[in-house]
Amino acid sequence: MNKISARQIYFFLACVAPVGKLILLPAQLANFSKNDLLFPLLAHILLQAAAVFCVLLLSKKGQTLYDLMENAFGKIAAKILAGVFALFLLFAALLPILEQKLFVQNVFYDTLPTVVSFSPYFLFAAFLCAKPLGGFGRTWDILAPLAIVGLAGILLLSAPSADFGALAPAGAAGGAGFLQGARSGFAWFYDAALLIPMLGHIEYREGMAWKGALFYLLGGAFVLLFFATFYGIFQETAVNQLFAFSATSKYYEGVTTLGRIDYVFIYALALVMAFYCALPVQGSIECTLQACGRKKYLPTVLGILLSAVLFALSLILDYKFADVLQAISGTVFWLFPVFCLAVPALMLLFLIKGGRRETA
Amino acid sequence: MKNISGKLKSDLKELKKLLPAEDILTFEFSSERGLEFALVYADPISDKELLGEQVIKPLIKYEGEKKAKDIGEKLASPELRTEKSFEKLTAEILAGNPVLLWEGADEAIVAGTKKVFVRAIAEPSTDVVVKGPREGFIEDVKINTSLVRRRFKTGELKMDMVEVGRRSKTVVAVCYLDGISKPAAVEEVKKKLNSIDIDYVPDSSYLTHFLASRPFSLVKQVGTTEKPDIFCAKIAEGRVGLLVDGSPIALTVPYLLIEDFQSSEDYFVPPYRATFTRLLRLFALIVAIYLPAFYVAAQLFKLQLFPVKLLLTIAGSIRDIPFSPSLEMLLVLLVLEVLNEASIRMPKYVGMALSVVGALVLGETAVSAGFVSTPAIIIIAFSGIGLYAVPNLIEQTSVLRLVMLLVAGSVGTYGIVLVTAFVILYLVTTENFGAPLVAPFSPFVAHDLRDSLVKYNLGSLPTRPELLKSPNKRRLK
Amino acid sequence: MRLRKFLKTIPMKLYVLLAAVVAFAFFSNDFGLVDIQKTAIILAAGIDKTEAGYSLTAQIAVPKGTDRTTGGTSSVEIEAEGQTVSDCISLIFSKTGWVPKLVFCDLIVLGESAVKEDVVASLNYFLRNDYMPDSCLLAVCEGKAGELISSKSAIDDASSLAIEKLFSDAAVRSGKVVTNTLKDFAIDYYGVSKSSYLPFVRMADQKGSQGESGSGGGSGGGAGGSGSSGSSGGGGSGGSENSEKIYSAEETAIFKEGVMVGLLPREQTLAFSLLSGNVFTGTINSEESGKPVTLTVIENKGSVSLKNDPAPRAELSLELTVRLCCRGATAAMEDISSDKVTPEIVENTTARLKGYMQDLWQTTKDCGCDIFKLNRMLYRSSLKEYARWKDNLLNVAEAGFEAKVVSMK
Repeated sequence: MNKISARQIYFFLACVAPVGKLILLPAQLANFSKNDLLFPLLAHILLQAAAVFCVLLLSKKGQTLYDLMENAFGKIAAKILAGVFALFLLFAALLPILEQKLFVQNVFYDTLPTVVSFSPYFLFAAFLCAKPLGGFGRTWDILAPLAIVGLAGILLLSAPSADFGALAPAGAAGGAGFLQGARSGFAWFYDAALLIPMLGHIEYREGMAWKGALFYLLGGAFVLLFFATFYGIFQETAVNQLFAFSATSKYYEGVTTLGRIDYVFIYALALVMAFYCALPVQGSIECTLQACGRKKYLPTVLGILLSAVLFALSLILDYKFADVLQAISGTVFWLFPVFCLAVPALMLLFLIKGGRRETA
Repeated sequence: MKNISGKLKSDLKELKKLLPAEDILTFEFSSERGLEFALVYADPISDKELLGEQVIKPLIKYEGEKKAKDIGEKLASPELRTEKSFEKLTAEILAGNPVLLWEGADEAIVAGTKKVFVRAIAEPSTDVVVKGPREGFIEDVKINTSLVRRRFKTGELKMDMVEVGRRSKTVVAVCYLDGISKPAAVEEVKKKLNSIDIDYVPDSSYLTHFLASRPFSLVKQVGTTEKPDIFCAKIAEGRVGLLVDGSPIALTVPYLLIEDFQSSEDYFVPPYRATFTRLLRLFALIVAIYLPAFYVAAQLFKLQLFPVKLLLTIAGSIRDIPFSPSLEMLLVLLVLEVLNEASIRMPKYVGMALSVVGALVLGETAVSAGFVSTPAIIIIAFSGIGLYAVPNLIEQTSVLRLVMLLVAGSVGTYGIVLVTAFVILYLVTTENFGAPLVAPFSPFVAHDLRDSLVKYNLGSLPTRPELLKSPNKRRLK
Repeated sequence: MRLRKFLKTIPMKLYVLLAAVVAFAFFSNDFGLVDIQKTAIILAAGIDKTEAGYSLTAQIAVPKGTDRTTGGTSSVEIEAEGQTVSDCISLIFSKTGWVPKLVFCDLIVLGESAVKEDVVASLNYFLRNDYMPDSCLLAVCEGKAGELISSKSAIDDASSLAIEKLFSDAAVRSGKVVTNTLKDFAIDYYGVSKSSYLPFVRMADQKGSQGESGSGGGSGGGAGGSGSSGSSGGGGSGGSENSEKIYSAEETAIFKEGVMVGLLPREQTLAFSLLSGNVFTGTINSEESGKPVTLTVIENKGSVSLKNDPAPRAELSLELTVRLCCRGATAAMEDISSDKVTPEIVENTTARLKGYMQDLWQTTKDCGCDIFKLNRMLYRSSLKEYARWKDNLLNVAEAGFEAKVVSMK
């Protein structure tokens, strides 16, 4: 059960990964890029698809991140690099978890609840992280249809209320708007980095790299469509809609008579999101295990430990989300392109070079 | 352990020493030529009439040698064995088979004149069908195996007998189709059965604990059925079946969760109807588990889930209720569980009175007295009915419903989402006998989806489920 | 060995601990929880501007209890005055002990005093509040919004529910009323047009005698001109406080940068609805040989477009398919059995509709209110042209009017 099949990877890339982009990112991009929000989004999707291609091509080797690093740079360097990558993934986990916390507190409660309300998530995260990686693969088999139903449901209920003309005129935000939007969006695009700890566990198949990238683009198309609908509905007020996918569907006429039936889809997506947000933590644990060696209770202990750290951070940063967002998506945004785009590309480059040397 | 000596008196003494119980009787008699015989048998479980007809009567006129072979030829019993060791003889006596000893015997003869107490083969109350076979297993393993054998007129059907239980020596028949069941699964079943070290096995449910990969789990990991047609269908798919003496409930492995959403009737009705009922069962189960929880969570944390008019109706009906919405629902749920439990165990003549008490006193009066609200009763009633759409999972789903309710009352709807996530994660990581519990959904096996929640036409199911990894894949040519 | 045994029992201990925590949370169940029994479900809010700041009147639904014998919704109106709207809401909480919840608030009515200034100041609280549905309807009323919300409706238990009936889909399709939501108003306000509209609600006494209030001015609809009709006999403040009221919303308040700058009378409201293409089975009045007739709109194609060659020019275009609904004169049976509209009626109706459109255009131009979103059209089609005309588009733009009425075959 420690293997992840190609199909599960495709499910993840096409269905699960898009869900992580539907809470704060639409408002964030609308804030910087206004009606041009689709352009930076498209750029991120294309870059990530390329990075996914690189990582999946690396998986052909059947070696873990640590093994690859060890072969290229030696044991000590491999340990350091795996450790650094583990730290990065833990850092990357912070924003989605805090974002999810805000979402839960605002959307699933009528009045702002206490911090206790979100704390069970960390129990779940610890439980999840103690499971083998293959367990994740299997969850994607279940989560993929849930995500499809959730996304399709939300889009179907939302689209009639959208004025897609609001996306015009193209280029209104200018180059600066595009760059600012692109910069602020990096923190949400780390999907290729999530695949790196899975190297060595992925069952490679012929053509998996380009198929994976294609599936990522397919999921990206869903995201683009949702963002277009979102902006079409809220237009100039989009920047104020912080919890995008819970907001767009409420204007559907059936909602007034049947109650919030759209919540069925919102809960489905929230379920998918609960798994997605724990992925970086799981990745971080996997990298640590690769660096430190696998011991029987270590995943459980690390899962509990890291979840506790994130829980503590979520308490400390409870009312400082705006600062955290500014810090992650503004000040240190460059960490994301480095680890999520440059690292996969460089790894592939090294391997190609190494491979040539070997053959030579 | 010693063997018999051939001296009748001392052999009888030895047997009496080993079996001092008062219901172990000895009947001594002589043939007309003066050869002394003794029959040792367990009084309550040996058929004395058969014993007289098949053993004693022929021996009265016996004139032959003292050899077991010669004596055996004279006996009119179709089921005869010879044994030497006292250990085996005592086991046979305790199993209801009388042991024949005589002066100068080289071996003792065991006569298969066990008294069989069986009830009639009837339709199991837990699995009633409108269309399809109505036979059900009973407590006798021999009759149960005959019900299976009757359906497979092929030598490929193997029934390996394994004894489980240090003291009960319960016979377990491991049934499978040679060349169709995965050999590794058969071996694993036998290995697990042989490793069981327990003194008494009263029912097949005891074995499920040992067959499960996660013995402490709430989740069911071994399939159960009371119907021979379902049992045989599962064996024909490539599963291994277990018939346990003393239990009308047969076991099958590997078990997939989806099996309990399928009824035998699904195969006797048109596929679109079967698909509809399977989806309906799933829907009913989801509603049964989630409805009370969401109702409570909505009242406590997320009023928006109700349309405003329904909300005002609910608000009106709970206005004078002395309990919080969560406590109210918990109380109603507990009352339902108590009523359910009591109505199953109560004598039938009290059952009617119980229904009156349940429906009128606890329902109508409790509402008018202001203890509970009408919506809460409706919700629980609907949930209670929905749970029985999948009766084989009642034990699991009723607990899950309670957990959902407790979490909903304390954390709200997000708690429900998280418990669902826990359950999904737990289910997808559970495997038994090499088959993932929630397959063919996770791992996703497209081929096996044809007979999962949807049901294809029989002609579209030419091969056995891929998950069972049968060596012989094709079942329809 | 002992350590391994201990580690093996940890999951079970954790489960027990978890169960205990959940049970504790379930039975104590009060982490700042505001459940249904502690909640004031606000159905509607009326906002007036006062010297101190704002006066907010909230209509709160009151559950009827188990002994209720009839349906409907009971409600109670609570008024509070504070420096901000949020302050008023807090005061309602302190007055009643119920936590006010806005999640079911479907109507916000702004009093005349509130729309004299930028109304977004009044709506600020609602726009910020994550728990407020921005799909709630917005309206302006004659006089004080508090009085409107507190009034006793003749047709429903709660005034807000009666007013919401005026804004139903059927009412919108009749063309007699236009509606707007908090979200759309905010989009208009923050958009490039900076203009929007809201239905204008009037209240009148219902004393049972016909024609007492002259509600809605339904006296056959004066032709053409922009004169206000249906002023409902002196408005809400006129009648006695305890008398039952009826409401009408046939006029439309128009806003520029959040301030109400004009009022469209019923004919212009109808023209606006027709131009939006929303009308189906609504009626329009016309005349034949000096006698009034009423037509039913079966199909409504309406559009406002902006051409830019070289100066901006708005094209207001209407195409209606109609049938005869009523003739204000005696007629033969053959006439009654026919729905056909005579050429004379077609001609008169076309002229009348053109007149309505011209009046509407003139009113919006005079008020500087871009309710046709011409600026937005220009912005979306050409950034360059928008930059050129954005400051005086309404002033320089000419308008063309086209109306076509077709009889149903």
